[in-house]
Amino acid sequence: MAPGRSILSRLCLLLVLLTPAAHAADATGDPMVVKDPQFGEVLFYFYQEDYFPAIVRLLAAKEQEQLTEHVEEAELLLGGMYLSYGHHLEAAEIFERLLADKVSPEVRDRTWFFLAKIWYQRGYLDKAQQALAYIEGELPEHLQREALMLGAQILIDAGQYDAAVTRLQNWKGRTEWASYAKFNIGVALVRSGRVDEAAELLDELGDMNPFTDELTALRDKANLALGYALLQDGQAYAAKEPLQRVRLEGPFSSKALLGVGWADAEMNNFDRALVPWMELRGRDLLDPAVQESMLAIPYAMAKLDSISQAADHYLNAIEAFYEETNRLDRTINHIESGEFFEEFVENDPLDSTGWYWELEELPTGPEARYLYHLLAKHEFQEGLKNFRDLSYLNRNLENWQQNVDVYANMLETRKEAYEQRLPVVETALERADLGRMVEFKLSYDATMDNIESSHNWLALAERSEFDMWKEVAELERTPALQADIPEAAEVQDKIDLLKGVLQWDLERDFSERVRFIRRNLHQTGEALVGAQRARRHVEESMRNEPLVFAEMSDRVYGLAPRIEGTQMRVEDALSRQRAYLQEIAVGELQAQKDRLDLYTIQARFALAAIYDIAASAGEDFE
Amino acid sequence: MDADAVAAEAREAVAAEASSRDEFRSLDTDVQALKKEVLDLNRDLFLLEEELLFPANSQVAFFVSMDVGEYFELDSVSIKIDGKEVANYLYTAREADALVRGGVHRVHMANLKTGEHEIIAIFTGKGPHVRDYRRGATTVIDKGIGAKYLELEITDRVRKQQPEFVFKEWE
Repeated sequence: MAPGRSILSRLCLLLVLLTPAAHAADATGDPMVVKDPQFGEVLFYFYQEDYFPAIVRLLAAKEQEQLTEHVEEAELLLGGMYLSYGHHLEAAEIFERLLADKVSPEVRDRTWFFLAKIWYQRGYLDKAQQALAYIEGELPEHLQREALMLGAQILIDAGQYDAAVTRLQNWKGRTEWASYAKFNIGVALVRSGRVDEAAELLDELGDMNPFTDELTALRDKANLALGYALLQDGQAYAAKEPLQRVRLEGPFSSKALLGVGWADAEMNNFDRALVPWMELRGRDLLDPAVQESMLAIPYAMAKLDSISQAADHYLNAIEAFYEETNRLDRTINHIESGEFFEEFVENDPLDSTGWYWELEELPTGPEARYLYHLLAKHEFQEGLKNFRDLSYLNRNLENWQQNVDVYANMLETRKEAYEQRLPVVETALERADLGRMVEFKLSYDATMDNIESSHNWLALAERSEFDMWKEVAELERTPALQADIPEAAEVQDKIDLLKGVLQWDLERDFSERVRFIRRNLHQTGEALVGAQRARRHVEESMRNEPLVFAEMSDRVYGLAPRIEGTQMRVEDALSRQRAYLQEIAVGELQAQKDRLDLYTIQARFALAAIYDIAASAGEDFE
Repeated sequence: MDADAVAAEAREAVAAEASSRDEFRSLDTDVQALKKEVLDLNRDLFLLEEELLFPANSQVAFFVSMDVGEYFELDSVSIKIDGKEVANYLYTAREADALVRGGVHRVHMANLKTGEHEIIAIFTGKGPHVRDYRRGATTVIDKGIGAKYLELEITDRVRKQQPEFVFKEWE
């Protein structure tokens, strides 16, 4: 059947499955013959990345044993689709069962790698580590590097910095991945308090000549990490150089500018410190570096004895923090009301659930600017995916709930119609005496046998021929013909001639007539057999129909509470997932608010101190 | 800040991350279990729906498939059974692409009595040289007892550089 330009073998299939949709198209191209239409139907949805209906159809076809020609492919396809749909635990179960001996080692290793990656993103560190351990051979180079990094990152996340350092220390080469590895080692070393060792690595990275945008960003990150590590370590002078290497236009520039200012301030160069801090004034107040700079500027001014200017800046900062705090409060209230995530789901089409789903556009509204930061976190992104998936499940169950009600009505109506028709059918069946018809048919067969064996051609004469024969026979019996006169002999000759002609014709047509009647009898026999079969079918249906109704009723009425029960659990999970996302979002916003509150207090104290100084100076003057 | 303090801070951060991860994982495990439950439920409902609406004795399923598709870009298919139009399906670009890649679309399900039925399928789309193209195909099926699957297959006739539309029966 339907042919296709899709996948040649399980191997290609899996490779396609484990590749995001955008890349999957490139991996196809070899034809595969679809031998079960139901399998082709699954592919129809799979190729549209509509995984949910594809999985449902595959499960249904499997249940009905309709995939006999694609047993193995179907199983692997199911595993791949589970993976694409984000149903990773079930996918892993299939792969664990099948990968051992059904696919090539390359495909097996690749699959474990992708599973490890997904598990890492979902926080299943133990499982991710286990999946990496299943990889026996060499992965393709780019994946091998990523796998090594993943292994090290798992160790870093688990706080095993030394193990991570050991793992990445032998990293060779000057590729992008080598740079990432160095950065991760540096971060791990800083976190374990080994700043000097980290400094060497991060400095090397921070001084490199990047050949891609990603590496440029990594260089900024390395410089920033190094600068702040040195600042924390009390090496303000050394911190300045890496911080100044951060690009002024990049995402890390605000924090770098702040750090440069603090390095100067640490060295009591407050006038120099003001230069980078003043640069931050026009930037987004959401950035903690900008917020901090609003306090740092008057602090430096005060140190430089510009008391009046410092007071103005503190007042501006207090005002700005107040406004920002109000905005944060409004956003926290909106998120806590639960409306935010509901609106998010309502605005999202929910038509292509899947692992590779990403939020393409931030929701509109004041919250969007805060969420930008949240979306960078794995657990928030993944939590959002789960929330979205649960909303899809909820909607799906709502639709089924309505459908099942309709099916219940339909079944009742059908049952009623059946009960109304049953007496009519029973009467018709009683009237149709098939046994008698069969007897007739057998009797005709016997008669034909006699006619044929006795070559009774007259028996098959048509009505007109028979009438003619009868008329001639009656003429023959006319007494006048017995007279011994020439006229009688002449008539007798004519009668003999007529009889001869008639007999000749009848005998000539006899075989044809036998065949014709036999054929008709045969057809009658077949029709009778058909009628008997139909009768048996009707009788069987009459016997079975009540059982079918009972079985269908059990299923329809049994599924309704199942849907209801599942829907309750989905709703419960949805509200827990919403609470989880709210907790992260509100926690993040609350942390920003707390920071602003702290800054406000600091600003007020500083302002009060300035007023005290001014008041004292005034008294002295008086 | 000394090295010990940095290390202690790092340990606290790791512990906080681990706790958040555990919470996520617990929720995620529940979501995974629910996904399985809902998928199984959908499977049962899908089968029930099919058996209820299209009992096996009278069921006829119509599938559309494409082989290669060099000479034809499918826009729509309409199906007539015994002179009566029963389905008219307009394909999105995404669906047409899925067909070209080997997917098979169940375009219509019907309940038919046993005996002969005339089926007409009309395909519209873009033919060779991107010209509007409309072709019909006819067949007569003999519906017996038991489900029947009828495939409307669009293939390329390379020699004539034209698409071809054929019926194929599956029992």
